[in-house]
Amino acid sequence: MVVTPESIHVSITSGLQCEHCTVQGDGQHFEAVIVSEAFAGKSRIQQHQLVYGALGDRMREEIHALSMKTFTPAQWAQQAR
Amino acid sequence: MSVQDQIRETVTGNPIVLFMKGTPQFPQCGFSATVVQILNACGVRNVVAVNVLADPEVREGIKQYANWPTIPQLYIQGEFIGGCDIVREMYSSGELQEALAKIPAA
Repeated sequence: MVVTPESIHVSITSGLQCEHCTVQGDGQHFEAVIVSEAFAGKSRIQQHQLVYGALGDRMREEIHALSMKTFTPAQWAQQAR
Repeated sequence: MSVQDQIRETVTGNPIVLFMKGTPQFPQCGFSATVVQILNACGVRNVVAVNVLADPEVREGIKQYANWPTIPQLYIQGEFIGGCDIVREMYSSGELQEALAKIPAA
């Protein structure tokens, strides 16, 4: 089965409340930018674990290379400036 | 000894441990190669590298150990630091260098 950025986007956003989520990729390597209030007060490790949790078994079975950047809405607002 | 015990012993018994695909000389994955390069750039010489491709049990076991589904995984003094993205961010911000500087000299 071909993994598309769209399907990764659906998995992330259905498992995690996101203010913003973009996923790009070529079927092998993917890059995601995720903004969620759920990241507030969490370490980077915990933030990435939330995303991995949303992806569940897909992370083990289908997705081999996913790079991600995680932001809280406040960090994202600063970033956008 | 269980794989989990074996992993715990490795990460707590060595100051810097990197679970990776391939070896520092011949990384077999771009993310693993990136972490090796960053550690080299930080002047780290005493990293214990574990090639997960050489041991399927460790390859699966390390994912459970840190509740982290991907490799590479970097540990400093027994603490899980992160995968490639986090190590790269911490290197850019200087946090990685700080964490490495805190390791007592052997």
